[in-house]
Amino acid sequence: MSAVATTPRPAPSTPAARNVRVTFPRVVRSEWLKFRTLRSTVWTVAITVVLMVGISLMFAAIVQVAASTPEMQEGMAQDPDMQAAGGLRGIFVITVGYGFAQLAIAVLGALSITNEYSSGMIRSTFAAEPRRLPVLWAKLLVVVTVTVVLTVVALALAWLVTYPMLDANGLTADLSDPEQVRALVGTVLYLATIAALSLGVGVLLRHTAGAIATLVAVLFVVPLIFTIATQAGNVEWVRTVNKFLPTVAGEQVISTGPASGDLLEPWQGFAVLAAYAVAALVAAAAALKRRDT
Amino acid sequence: MIEAHGLSKHYGAKTAVDEVSFTVRPGVVTGFLGPNGAGKSTTMRLVMGLDRPSGGWVTVNGKPYAQHRSPLTEVGALLEAKAVHPGRSAYQHLRVLAATHGISTGRVDEVIELTGLESVARKRVGGFSLGMGQRLGIAAALLGDPKTLLLDEPVNGLDPEGVLWVRNLVRYLAGQGRTIFLSSHLMSEVAVTADHVIVIGKGKILADMPVKDLVDGASRRIVRVRTPQAAALDGALRAAGLTVQQGDDGTLEVVDAEAAQVGEIAAAGGVVLHELTPVASTLEDAYMALTADSVEYRTEALSGGAGGGAGDGTPGPATTADTTADPTVTEGADR
Repeated sequence: MSAVATTPRPAPSTPAARNVRVTFPRVVRSEWLKFRTLRSTVWTVAITVVLMVGISLMFAAIVQVAASTPEMQEGMAQDPDMQAAGGLRGIFVITVGYGFAQLAIAVLGALSITNEYSSGMIRSTFAAEPRRLPVLWAKLLVVVTVTVVLTVVALALAWLVTYPMLDANGLTADLSDPEQVRALVGTVLYLATIAALSLGVGVLLRHTAGAIATLVAVLFVVPLIFTIATQAGNVEWVRTVNKFLPTVAGEQVISTGPASGDLLEPWQGFAVLAAYAVAALVAAAAALKRRDT
Repeated sequence: MIEAHGLSKHYGAKTAVDEVSFTVRPGVVTGFLGPNGAGKSTTMRLVMGLDRPSGGWVTVNGKPYAQHRSPLTEVGALLEAKAVHPGRSAYQHLRVLAATHGISTGRVDEVIELTGLESVARKRVGGFSLGMGQRLGIAAALLGDPKTLLLDEPVNGLDPEGVLWVRNLVRYLAGQGRTIFLSSHLMSEVAVTADHVIVIGKGKILADMPVKDLVDGASRRIVRVRTPQAAALDGALRAAGLTVQQGDDGTLEVVDAEAAQVGEIAAAGGVVLHELTPVASTLEDAYMALTADSVEYRTEALSGGAGGGAGDGTPGPATTADTTADPTVTEGADR
């Protein structure tokens, strides 16, 4: 720092100064730069892909072992649950990682805004775009796009690495089956919607720990409790609440095999999850517009 | 040009800014002076649209800040050191802000050079000292080559060289016809940097005048006399129409008098003097006199009547110690 105390030189007036103003594509570009310049987000994306592919690989290996072990094969053939589900499908093995990936994606979505509040960056952000809402929509676009791309890549990789094992057992995914295509597309849509929901929750709660704890509860703990409750007893309201839980409803778009009467239709279910995400984002937009930073 | 009219901000029952009206004019450096918790930072956040006013309005260059389509070229603000994610480098942080306006990376390099951050620009901000964080904040403020600059406590955490640099920079930018609004809790800093001063205390404007007038007007000449015949001299001085107050350890302080005049009165009354000292009122005294009633957190006076030039009959027990959490006091400490 040698030039510190010297008289500052004039700031050259750039000829392009006329074009210097805020536009939505520029806010999106800024949000994309924010996203890719943080190690935490880059790592989260990498971990999500590894998680999804790894879990598929694990399931494929289990299938492989089961197929080559006569006793297990027999056991699977006799398991009533397995029979009811129409047997283990290749598409299930490929998409199964979403359950864990959704947690990483929830963190990604929430963190994209809560880290601005915890660091004070939000003031710089809103000083540059004082209308605020374009920042929310730009963040939404970035986290949803990243989630879609990472899910497509993870599914493709999962398909690739499990192919030899699934093929050996005649369980490869069948893309001529509309249900299997729906499950693949559904996985992408499901995770993208979770990302949007998490961003909304992040804006509303502002604190990283609070947002992540809330999301883990909503996405993991509450559905677990209800799963146990529905199996423990046949209580009407428990089953009704259960099928309208965000994850339980949303997962129907990924599920294949015979439908359960207790749960929603695939696209109905997805619509319910999407409604939660829209509600969270509308509330987030209202809060963002109104609040002090 | 910044214009505020009846601007107020309440946080629950607490009033941080209380119907303030002021104008910050282009081409001069306007100091914004007040003790900690007086409402300086809140006022600046209101100007930037970061907090919503509870009442009144404030415009920057004729419009509310949020209505400008190129906010960074209208106003550059240093609101607190490190409004930055610690995981990004200085360069990345400035790129992120520049991207929103389509400001070139060339300009990013320029402000890095201008603020002397070249050697640390690629390092993560998390490891920056307070001074480097402050320079980065100033770099961000200058990014859009703005017409108006809002600097909240810009010299906080800077070394003497940095302080001098900020003063020169501020003077230079004002010389280009820009509006500069600079807050400080240090009278001496404002006195050397600013032309005009707005003094705020407890959310209210206490003074809005040229720095020179504040210093001249609020300062009073005091003559300190020590005498074994205090009562006699006191009577003689009062008889001559002068104001006398009790000073430290038995001295008398004569307000607005010349030493010669006091000496002559003493001689005429046959009073022995042990000391006769003209006391020049300092800038700090002027400031203290103005804000005496409006400091948020004060220490108890150590001895009665010890206040240099502040003792103008301040009524009764001073300000109540306000223990409510005050969002305006988090001057840059909110991490």
